[in-house]
Amino acid sequence: MNLRPLFMPRTHETTEGNKTGSWRYLRPRYEDKTSPCSAACPAGEDIARIEMLSAQGFFKEAWETILRENPLPGVCGRVCFHPCEGSCNREGFDSALAIHTIERHLADTAARNDLKPALEKLALQPQKIATIGSGPAGLSAAWFFTMLGYACDIYESLPEAGGILRWGIPEYRLPAAVLRTEIGRIESQGVRIVTGRHISESELNNLLSNYSAVFMGCGYSRSTPLGVPGETPESVKDGLEFLRSVRQGEKPPCQGLSAVIGGGNTAVDVARTVIRLGGKAAILYRRRRQDMPAFEEEIVMAMEEGVELHELLAPGAIEAQGDQYRLILRKMKIEGQDKDGRGRIVPDGDKTGEVTVERIFTATGADVAEPWYNPPSDKPGTIALSHCQIRFDKKGLPLVYGGDLTNATKNVTQAIASGKQAAMAIDTYFQQGSDAIESRLASCRVGDGLSLSMEVYMQGARRLRSFHIVRPEEINTDYFQFEARVVQPRLLVEERAGSFDEIDMRISANLAIREAGRCFNCGLCNQCDNCYLYCPDVAVIRGRNMEDRHINFDYCKGCGLCAAECPRNAVTLEGEGI
Amino acid sequence: MHSGHVGCPGCGATIAMRLFMKAMGEKTIMVLPACCWTVIAGAYPTSALKIPVLQTAFETGGATASGVRAALDMKGDTETTVVTWAGDGGTFDIGFQSLSGAVERNEDFIYVCYDNEAYMNTGIQRSSSTPYGAWTTTTPGQDWKRMRKKNIVEALVAHRIPYVATANIAFPEDLVRKAKKARSIKGSKFIHVFASCPTGWRIPSELSVKIARMAVQTNIFPLYEVEDGIHYTINQKPKEYLVREYFKLQGRFRHLTDKDLDQIQTMVDEDWALLLRKAEARI
Amino acid sequence: MKRVLEGSHAVAEAVRLAKVQVVSAYPITPQTHIVEIISDYCAKGKMNAKFIPVESEHSCLAALVGAQSAGVRTFTATSSHGLALMHEILHWVSAARLPIVMVDVNRALGPGWNIWSDQSDSLSQRDTGWLQLYCEDSQEVIDTVLQAFRLAERVNLPVMVVLDAFFLSHTYEPVDVPEQEEVDRFLPSYSPRFTLDTANPYTLSPLVTPAFYMEMRHDTALAMDEAMACFNEIEEEYAALFNRRYGSVEAVACDDAEIILVTSGTITSTARLLLEELRAKGEKVGLLKMKMFRPFPVEAVCRALGRAKKVAVIDRNFSFGAGGIFAQEIKAALYKLPVHPTVFGYIAGLGGRDVTTAVLEEIYIKTREADLPSQASIWIGLQEVKYAN
Repeated sequence: MNLRPLFMPRTHETTEGNKTGSWRYLRPRYEDKTSPCSAACPAGEDIARIEMLSAQGFFKEAWETILRENPLPGVCGRVCFHPCEGSCNREGFDSALAIHTIERHLADTAARNDLKPALEKLALQPQKIATIGSGPAGLSAAWFFTMLGYACDIYESLPEAGGILRWGIPEYRLPAAVLRTEIGRIESQGVRIVTGRHISESELNNLLSNYSAVFMGCGYSRSTPLGVPGETPESVKDGLEFLRSVRQGEKPPCQGLSAVIGGGNTAVDVARTVIRLGGKAAILYRRRRQDMPAFEEEIVMAMEEGVELHELLAPGAIEAQGDQYRLILRKMKIEGQDKDGRGRIVPDGDKTGEVTVERIFTATGADVAEPWYNPPSDKPGTIALSHCQIRFDKKGLPLVYGGDLTNATKNVTQAIASGKQAAMAIDTYFQQGSDAIESRLASCRVGDGLSLSMEVYMQGARRLRSFHIVRPEEINTDYFQFEARVVQPRLLVEERAGSFDEIDMRISANLAIREAGRCFNCGLCNQCDNCYLYCPDVAVIRGRNMEDRHINFDYCKGCGLCAAECPRNAVTLEGEGI
Repeated sequence: MHSGHVGCPGCGATIAMRLFMKAMGEKTIMVLPACCWTVIAGAYPTSALKIPVLQTAFETGGATASGVRAALDMKGDTETTVVTWAGDGGTFDIGFQSLSGAVERNEDFIYVCYDNEAYMNTGIQRSSSTPYGAWTTTTPGQDWKRMRKKNIVEALVAHRIPYVATANIAFPEDLVRKAKKARSIKGSKFIHVFASCPTGWRIPSELSVKIARMAVQTNIFPLYEVEDGIHYTINQKPKEYLVREYFKLQGRFRHLTDKDLDQIQTMVDEDWALLLRKAEARI
Repeated sequence: MKRVLEGSHAVAEAVRLAKVQVVSAYPITPQTHIVEIISDYCAKGKMNAKFIPVESEHSCLAALVGAQSAGVRTFTATSSHGLALMHEILHWVSAARLPIVMVDVNRALGPGWNIWSDQSDSLSQRDTGWLQLYCEDSQEVIDTVLQAFRLAERVNLPVMVVLDAFFLSHTYEPVDVPEQEEVDRFLPSYSPRFTLDTANPYTLSPLVTPAFYMEMRHDTALAMDEAMACFNEIEEEYAALFNRRYGSVEAVACDDAEIILVTSGTITSTARLLLEELRAKGEKVGLLKMKMFRPFPVEAVCRALGRAKKVAVIDRNFSFGAGGIFAQEIKAALYKLPVHPTVFGYIAGLGGRDVTTAVLEEIYIKTREADLPSQASIWIGLQEVKYAN
């Protein structure tokens, strides 16, 4: 029997023929933005991405992400003052991320497993670069020049490379073995380091004819004298010289009480080294404790180890008394504020104090070892950038001054930033001329600060990042639970006294992943898939590549849920048709 | 679920369906009484759903599913799950009898009520699931709803069925877990899903999920499960936000004064305390 | 096998023989025996079916919508208020093209509460797209219910088989109950034309816009038209196997009749007795039994009634503001004839009041004695009302 077909309420198609994208008046866009930590990092490290990769267990990739912006993670993970943590958006939620702990972990893991980084390098260039000084600035400059395709030689006057890293910062903060591994990696990229080779002023001109550019990274290796009556080479020892000799393996006499004049990290390093060599130490600072430029943690540890701290005392005069010295001190008081925000000190009338010590160290500041190291900032034709200065010789060859020689804030990470900036500037000069330097560098800024990104300079994926710095209120904290910050274990005070063993101990990979997992990844898509999950119109498509997500604009109605539920502001809503 | 459906931008009911169907899979037959999803699913000849769907009259969610289940049992089909997907109107009000009858018989099906707290499909009229304090077109102006929201979950718990649970689109893993759990149990299962409605609640579409989340965080819509009408498990420790944070984001509550909000806070606190007592009671 | 069964039991036997797979029902006097017997069969395993004891008639039919859509043969029975409560779903079932078979035990609607025979309940559902077949005795019941499944499944429309309350549902009569193998030859197992199937998913009963709705309704109309022919074919087949047929109408002594009585249900049996008496007295009277009401058998009615002078339609129902429903439909059917008899509409037996041969004789005499009906509808046997205020 032939049955007549039924025409009844029964469907036979999907709704996919209805392109609801026509409803839209707002349109979402995946837009990675800049995290505040990366903008605060002088080296401009892509911290949000580093943490994201670490949390996913991709330690090597995270480490390579650091190396693109900073060749010395093992160093910075130990001695950087981590301004990144100070700007961390998580601080207002529970506590800032322990970024430096993770950075150190990544470097140590790479070292322990003898990892070789796979990094992009530009094509080989004809020019050769000479670097004078193998401190952080010089090492950084050489590294980045090499990335950009230039052959690079470093000339170092001391027997081993590292500058302040090797000869200034004590072993218990930065072990030499760690430094050697970091420097070894720089060398394995093709950098030639010539140690024990001092370059004189006359040899400089020779260099300028054999190389296409010279980077001056000699730094400050001489402590500033006190400038008080009674100061002699015997009565007042150079703090930096003391540290250098200890790092060379010597054990200068330290018995009795040593006075350390100054308030910076050098002063604290000297005091704590004296303790470890069996002596007692007292830091005398003309301002207050809160004005000391030294890292607060260092001060705390110093005092735990028995270092005394005396505030508001400036050196007045020194009198020899047999084997000892009588140090006359002028008392200071606070009156108003200096323009850098610190209290302004004035002598407290005629009040004085005195102390009798075995020896006196000066660590009140540092200066160049030889005057010609200093950049001549008054010369016309000098290009002054934020972290370096470029002077051109008679033949037009660039001589770049960087590191402590030119940086407003003098520390390791700023020095690294300086080397990077110099490399970018010189490369731009070679390729496009000096007029292009400013704009080229400006396009590599991280966010709105002074930090620059070499990855962006080399046209890496990071160039697609928006300059917008993610604010704490742009994070959807509904997706995060309170979780305590990792506590990096540390040697006990009893274990520290008398030993130069590294104080901060390592953490396990487990803890590193967990801590990295606390990172909000501000502005950076970490494939959490909230957008995909919540789209009412199934209009978020996941591509084959793990990192690919895109919107199917045939159906997207512009409801904005993807942007609102992105915990880290990696989706931007804009007007349709714009 | 296919794209191209005609749900409003940000519609919570579509998010609910999508998450639920992830948990259910292909071997599912859905009974769909009159509700927003009747329209969202698409007009003839299209369908936004990838499974067989039987659309049915408004008040018949429970009864129709009973019939489908009986037929599948007679055909020896032990793999297919029968699901009724109904709105609050078809569950709390006109469909309540059919639902109560079906679960009293402990019919083997999952009844999901996606609750947008009013008769949204017909244009935002009040239902017994509309919360205390809300504006709707039939409770306008000063006549805002002064009746409490009917506690459908407790009404179902009183039927002593194997599984009753609340769920919320802002807690997707919890929703999927409960759906899968329901699927594995024999007998009547009821899931009450909080599905925000930007259009009816007068909120911007992008806040749809956030508002849903806040309903849990303020204890207005606690996440909990009840097994066999006796064993209560509270799933989510609330953040104990003040209810006024939730209310002030929605246009449908704009008319409420501080005094009203204080009173509502007391009501919510009482209900939460009552729920805690039930959860702690041991038999 | 011949057994003595009440009408309700005959229904149950047919349902069992038809191998119905899902039954859902809600009790209402006087349908209860049907439901109880089927329940008993299911519990004892005499019937392999699932019985869903729903909580209302509305849910009852909704449950069958679910079950039939999922691909099994279903059945239910109801009456009066139960049928009225199902009204929404009656429309739904036919538009959804579901071949559900239902027995309606004709009972009066309240208030006042009245459990006795009256056709208003089934007839007020005449627009819902269900076929309606009226039975006179228990044998016809069992035969019609069996045929109903064949018919419904053939045209994908639901079928309502109607019994008079108590006169048929609760009266014991001898019935020849067919054997299962015989029925299996007549009624194969259900093979749905569409079903809910996860291997081939689609949506049933979605939103339909004006662009498509009319054609769907038209398709239903075409099916209803086909049902007329299909009914005859199926009756042929049934007669070949069981040697019984009824026809959409049965004309008794109509060829030379001047006055033809038109009846339905058990009144027909009473009318047959009167017919014999009147014919014996030489009256030229005929009887037309209406079995099929939907689709309305226009051709058969015109053929049977066309040459008579007068037609007396007995309606055990009333449509307020219009008249007896059978009478209206018969007038409409006769309208197309250039010459047609005068139709007298009589209202009798509402609320179960007995329609005896005396009542029918009164109707016959009134018809014979008047050229035209004195009123549009003539109510027979009205008593004096004493307490109206």
